[in-house]
Formats: sequence, C-alpha cells, structure tokens
Amino acid sequence: MIYSEVSGTLIKILVSKNQIIEEGTDLLVIECMKMHIPITAKKRGKIIDIFIKEGDFINEGDKLLEVVYDF
Amino acid sequence: MSWKKELEEKLIREKLSENLGGKERVKKQHDAGRYTIRERINILTDKSSFHEIGKISGSATYDENNDLVNFTGSNFIFGNAKIDGRNIVVGGDDFTLRGGSADASIREKHIKCEQMALSLKLPLIRIVEGSGGGGSVKTIETTGRANVPEVEGWNLVVESMGTIPRVALGLGSVAGLGAAHIACSHYSVMVKEKSAVFVAGPPVVEQIGQKLTKNELGGYEIQLKSGAVDAAVDTEEEAFNSVKKFLSYLPNSVYQLTEQLSTEDNPNRTSEWLIDAIPRDIKSVYKIRPIIDELVDKNTFFEIGKEYGKSIVTGFCRINGWSIALMASDPYSYGGCWTSDTCKKVQKFVDLAETFHLPVIYLVDCPGFQVGLDAEKKGTIKEGVRAMSAIWQTTTPWLSIIIRNCFGVAGAAHKRGSSYISRCAWPSARWGSLPLEGGIEAAYRSDIENSNDPKAELEKINTRLNKLRSPLRSAESFLIEEIIDPRNTRKTMCEFADLAAPLRKIGMTSRTMRP
Repeated sequence: MIYSEVSGTLIKILVSKNQIIEEGTDLLVIECMKMHIPITAKKRGKIIDIFIKEGDFINEGDKLLEVVYDF
Repeated sequence: MSWKKELEEKLIREKLSENLGGKERVKKQHDAGRYTIRERINILTDKSSFHEIGKISGSATYDENNDLVNFTGSNFIFGNAKIDGRNIVVGGDDFTLRGGSADASIREKHIKCEQMALSLKLPLIRIVEGSGGGGSVKTIETTGRANVPEVEGWNLVVESMGTIPRVALGLGSVAGLGAAHIACSHYSVMVKEKSAVFVAGPPVVEQIGQKLTKNELGGYEIQLKSGAVDAAVDTEEEAFNSVKKFLSYLPNSVYQLTEQLSTEDNPNRTSEWLIDAIPRDIKSVYKIRPIIDELVDKNTFFEIGKEYGKSIVTGFCRINGWSIALMASDPYSYGGCWTSDTCKKVQKFVDLAETFHLPVIYLVDCPGFQVGLDAEKKGTIKEGVRAMSAIWQTTTPWLSIIIRNCFGVAGAAHKRGSSYISRCAWPSARWGSLPLEGGIEAAYRSDIENSNDPKAELEKINTRLNKLRSPLRSAESFLIEEIIDPRNTRKTMCEFADLAAPLRKIGMTSRTMRP
C-alpha cells in the first residue's frame, strides 16, 4: 500500500491498474506548498488499485495506491 | 595459606553467570533470530576488550552448610570495552532472564553503569531488550508491597545527555523503562521486524480496546516516523556497525574535540553538474541527497532520522577530514517547508551539534513553515519558535548556503540573530518575507481588476517583480554576502571547516540538551 506523506492536491496520475512499475518510477504528482512533488516507487511492483482521482485533496496518511511486490 | 580457594569459588560463579537464563532460554533467544547479551557485546566490541564489572552479582542459593548450590547472574551486564581501539562503556539487558525486568535485576548495576560512563567521560552504549530493568506486574509479589514509582539514577541520564554520547539499541521487544532508555539517547537503532518499542506492549494496549501486533504497535515503521527511534536496519550486525559509524563522528565527551582525519578527497574538487542541479521551474523539485554526497568527503555522509520530519535531512559528514553536522532542506517533503516534526528534528540536531562542538553546515531551501489547518493543529509555530531558539542559542561555527528558497520566519532561521555566521547563496536563490506567487493578486488587486486584460496585467507585474528579486540585486545591497558558483561549493565548505576547527571550544553548553 502506498500512503501520502504530504497533504495537497493530486494533479496527475501517471500509472494505471495492472501496470508494472520499476523502482524510481514516478507514480503520481501532488501539488503541495505550491510545488509539484512526485510520488515515486521505492521498488518494483504491480499496481492493483488506485484510490484517488486527479483534483482530489489528499491528506497526509491517505491511501493512494495498492501495490503488490510479489507477483 | 593462599587465597586460591576463594578465587576458585569466584571463577565458579563467573562461569555460572555465563549460562545466562539457561540452555532452554538461550535456545529460544537464538530460535527467534536474536543474539544473547554476551554475544552482542562480543560482536560489538573489539576482541577480548570487554572488562565486565559485577560479573558475579546475581542470585545464589546455598545448602544448609552455606555452600554454594547454584548461581544465576543478574540480567543486566555492563563494563568497559573498546570499539575500533577507542574506550567505551557498554551495558545491556539479558532477555533470557525474566525478559530484562527488575525482578531479576540489581538496580545499582544500572546506576553504576551510568555513573561509570559519565565519570570516565566515555560514550555509553545501552543494548536494550525487554523492560530495561523496569518493574513488572510480578514485582509486587516478589517485594511484598507496591512501590511508589521513581526512576533512580535518571539525573545521571539527564547529565550525560549534555556530556557524553549516548547510543541505544532496541534489539527485541522493548517496553517501559527500556523504551525510555531508547528514547533518551543521541542516536537509537532498532532491527526491522525483530524489534518493537512501546510504552506498553500489545496485552496492555488490548485492555484499552486496541488489538495490535507488536509490529503494528511499535515496529520500525511506527517508531521511525514518530521520531522516537533514529534508524532501523535488517540485522543486529548492521545495528552494531551503525553505532560504530555514529560514534566515529563524535568525541568521547564534551571535554574533547574531534580530530581531522586524512582524506583523499580534494578540497578544491569541482562538480560540473551542480550548475544544473536546481531546476529553473520553481514548481519542480530536485533530489537533495545526491547533492550532499557530491559535496562532502566521499562516502562520509551518515544520515540520522531519515524517516522523521523529512523536510530537513540531517546527518554527520566529513569535510576536508573534519567532523561536521550537516542539515539540508528536502523539497520532496512539503517543498522543504518546516512541519511541526521538522522543527522538532531541527531542535534535536542543532542541540546535538552544539553539545559536541560540531560546526554546522546548512543547505537552505526553505519556503517557510508548512501552512494550513493540519499545520496549525500540530502546533507548527510553537515548535518553530523552539527550533529557532535552539539555533539562536548555538555558538558553534555555522555556514549557511542558500541554494533556493528562503522565505518567512522559518527561512530566517538559517542564521542566528546578529552573531557572526558564514553565509553565501547559489544564483538559484530566491528570498523574501513571502513568496511572490499567490501574493501578487492580493497586493496588486486594484491594478489587475481595473485593467482591460487582467491576465496580461498580472503577467506584466510578475515579470517586473521577478527582475527585482534577483539575488544579485540583494548582493548589491549586501543583504547577502556572496553569490557563489554551485560548482565550487565544496571548496567553500572545506575552507569553512578549516576556519571553524580552531574556534571549537570544549566544555558543557550552558543549557544541556534534552532528548
């Protein structure tokens, strides 16, 4: 599971369900304190679910993506 | 007649104390993937360097002739030893004996261990597992009365925070007084999945309606983010190595200064890519850690508290061989804005640097305090002024390099009041009381509203003001002392470290640090 470490507005979703992601892949972009902050994959995995949509206000700790790492 | 018989009896007790809690419990400890306390001390310290104090303290049973029948050592073991040839004091809990709780402990040993490190002015390493000598529910039955709670010897802990390096390792489940010893340290480490740190464990917490596993309650993911523990690693060996690394940047006590180590890294080394390191688009972020690694002596950056208060990266490094406390903003966390946790992290780190006379280098990209309801609820401004006060109270040499944003009260905390600090900026620096973005619409509302083309008018004002905020204009008025070429930053830092070294003064600070 990937949770938000910042609060702000989700401005871009860069991945889709079932997509394989590599370590370092930018997954989402959140506008926070007027900066565009990418949320990046920490390791290789597969996107199972996306819980947010562009334009949503995200709070710190909100569930963003479900990712599996053993597949 | 000689005294050999007595010495033989002493050796019997010593031998028995090495049995710890007995074969079965030692096996249980190993089966759980954990070392015993004696194994831990052996791995951590230089070979054969451990001089144990009070090895034959414990509980003995005697027959009717007053001859020894059995002996069990106490569950806290301590003494002096060497790490990389340097003297230290180490003390640790034996979890195989009543889980390290007070029932099998001799309280005076804990106190003596603290006194020893403090009096000999040596770093103290506490290896904690269990309740760290604290009481358990069973204590009432073993003592036959309830005790009024007190933590005897805590005055020594408080004093040593301002005198000697204190390091704590949480190497299993740690609760109560044990958790307090972890938190009351300059640096703490736990082992992922095998350690958990909490005030009270799952059975107690279940009584208040929270059914949680040890990891869910006090595992590394909880405690690193909470700031209660500084680091988590995969194995006990890694934990010992991180302790050694941490201590390598500090003197034995505040009555010593760290020495310059030889380095093969050229102090004048330039870094071509740094000219492009900061994006021109002010909304774009960049990674700060590669910049730090580029500037410090190669492979010397040791990060502390990576998962906590993440808008600031803190750690020790070597600059031209000198031990330096380095802080740097991380725009990936709230754009580098100081959150409440960031402020607490800054307080502790600045106090740590001041306590052990480490000069500070701060790479500044701070757009201000975090704003919004969440920030207000977390008391950001209160923690902010505490962080500022910690900075203002420092006397250690200080270099701030403004690499991008420097706005508002939090931005102003890159220096301390009117006392001298070294300071310079990269050409990418931008500063002010408030960022222009978002403020222009309010400040020039009537101009924009009365214009035939409000959007064009806003753009025109933006362009006009942007020219004014060039750092070169500020330098013309000497508001910033120097604009440097980012490629030459290492040279600036090495020159600062050389100039700062003779200014460091030994002794305790007027206000000793709190954990």
